[in-house]
Amino acid sequence: MATETDTTNIDARRLVHRLPDDVLLHGGIVFSILLMASPLLLAVIMSTQSTTEVYQVTNLGLGSKGLSNYSDALVNYDFSTYMLNSFVMSVIVVVGKVTLSLFAALALVYYRFPYERAVFMFILLTLLLPVPVRIVPLFQLMADLGWTNSLLALTGPYIASATAVFLFRQQFMGISASLVEVARLDGVGPLTFLFRVLIPMSRGMIAGVCVITFIYTWNQFLWPLVVVTDKSSQVVQVGIRYLQGSAQAGLTQWGLIMAGAVLALLPPLVVLVVLHRPLLRTLTIQQK
Amino acid sequence: MSTATKPYDSTLQAALLLLPTAAVLVAFLYYPALETFRLSLYETLFLGQRQTWTGLGNFVSLLTSDVYQYSFLVTVAFAAVVVFGTLGVSLLIGYLIFSVDVRSSVYLVAAIWPYALPPAVAAILLNFILHPNLGIFTHYLELLTPFTLDWFNDGPQAFAILAVVAVWKQLGYNIIFIVAALSNIPEILTENARIDGVGRFRMLYKVYVPMIAPTMTFLVIMNTIYAFFSTFPLVDLMTSGGPSDATNFLIFKLYRDAFQFNSLGLASAQSVILFVVVSILMYLQLRFASGYGRYGG
Repeated sequence: MATETDTTNIDARRLVHRLPDDVLLHGGIVFSILLMASPLLLAVIMSTQSTTEVYQVTNLGLGSKGLSNYSDALVNYDFSTYMLNSFVMSVIVVVGKVTLSLFAALALVYYRFPYERAVFMFILLTLLLPVPVRIVPLFQLMADLGWTNSLLALTGPYIASATAVFLFRQQFMGISASLVEVARLDGVGPLTFLFRVLIPMSRGMIAGVCVITFIYTWNQFLWPLVVVTDKSSQVVQVGIRYLQGSAQAGLTQWGLIMAGAVLALLPPLVVLVVLHRPLLRTLTIQQK
Repeated sequence: MSTATKPYDSTLQAALLLLPTAAVLVAFLYYPALETFRLSLYETLFLGQRQTWTGLGNFVSLLTSDVYQYSFLVTVAFAAVVVFGTLGVSLLIGYLIFSVDVRSSVYLVAAIWPYALPPAVAAILLNFILHPNLGIFTHYLELLTPFTLDWFNDGPQAFAILAVVAVWKQLGYNIIFIVAALSNIPEILTENARIDGVGRFRMLYKVYVPMIAPTMTFLVIMNTIYAFFSTFPLVDLMTSGGPSDATNFLIFKLYRDAFQFNSLGLASAQSVILFVVVSILMYLQLRFASGYGRYGG
């Protein structure tokens, strides 16, 4: 009995000793997370308020507008069009980039051909050429091709990627040699090998690349701003810019602008929350 | 993988598989990049219709221009503030999350979500929250401190506000890598320090930070590239480069010279300078942080 109470005492003492530390730790995390999220939470609240309510600066209650700022943005300020354009652009880039990069990685890892190393370097070196480095001639090229204001201009420059090829190459190189040997002895063709063996074994990596690419494409701003001038072809990030401009007549309709901003954030945020596991695994691989 | 284990050897098939990627890279990356170099040597008029050879003239006028020098200076200063601000805050939050086991994946998702935050949305949200007259943060800041927010007119304040937005947006990316790196440290290496009763935050900078130095280097480079190349929406939506050029960063000046003033040659020369910047950063990345980094596409 005596020993039991002793251990309980010790446990209790240890608990008391540990408690403030843990509380501080969790408190610190919750505080930082709330601080980081506060602009978004406030924006969600303000997006339900009327302009008069927004101008009462300390009014932090849900407003009288309900969701009507959202329907206003979608219907009267063309956000439904912008969102659709962003969605189509992102899906095309995701599908195109993953397909092209899987093919390229298949060649790089499983084929013997001359100048392998040089071809790989040729792909990797494009990391030195982000959009701002080539934006003037790229714009002129689109104009010459008659592609301005089109999906071709929005998606074409993003559809091949050093990052995705590099990641799939890493992934394929990690697949066991004995499996490859079996495939060779069985005389499996390259495309069968890709679709029956490599892709099923790379699901996590493919999901990760899809998430990275979707978020990256959805968030593009500068290139759509430059190459699309026709509002009906514009994407939602630049749509925010239009909304900011047109809502500024008289008293700025901040509730409406916040609703537009929340709409423009929602799709990548949902993708991140749902698919954070493959995203985290893929991101941390590429650093190695 | 040794070549012996490569099961296929048809050069034609390999070429066909590589063709789509190569074609896109040549048409939309290499060709425009080379064209940038060529254009940077010309003076252009009438939307580039008339081009006059000027050699290094564009570079000379850029490097001797007060506006460009100032733009370069504020960009470098901005990058420094953003890089170290982001790393400091991310290290703190990442370390806290790493220190608790329970529910850490819920915490992790709640902390990394700014990775998905579009820069334009980040700009517009904080534009409102920190608005000099209407911002709720501004209201309480001015209530609780003697400070007055006037960043529509005050250059240094506008610079600081953009840095806050840039750091906020970049926290998610940094926390992802810091938590991953901390979790990869073998427990045995940190046990001794823990027994010695070293305090939690002393542990962080005496024991953990040196062990994740490669990740920190990687993040310094990635955050620098981000500060140089991805902060255009912030400037465009919040300050338009002002007040009095305090936030006229290189990327914004390039955009304005190219697409508002149509100085295509001069803008191309600025692109070449940015190419030099990104090349140096990528070289440092390969040299110091094993492996290769990621810039966007």
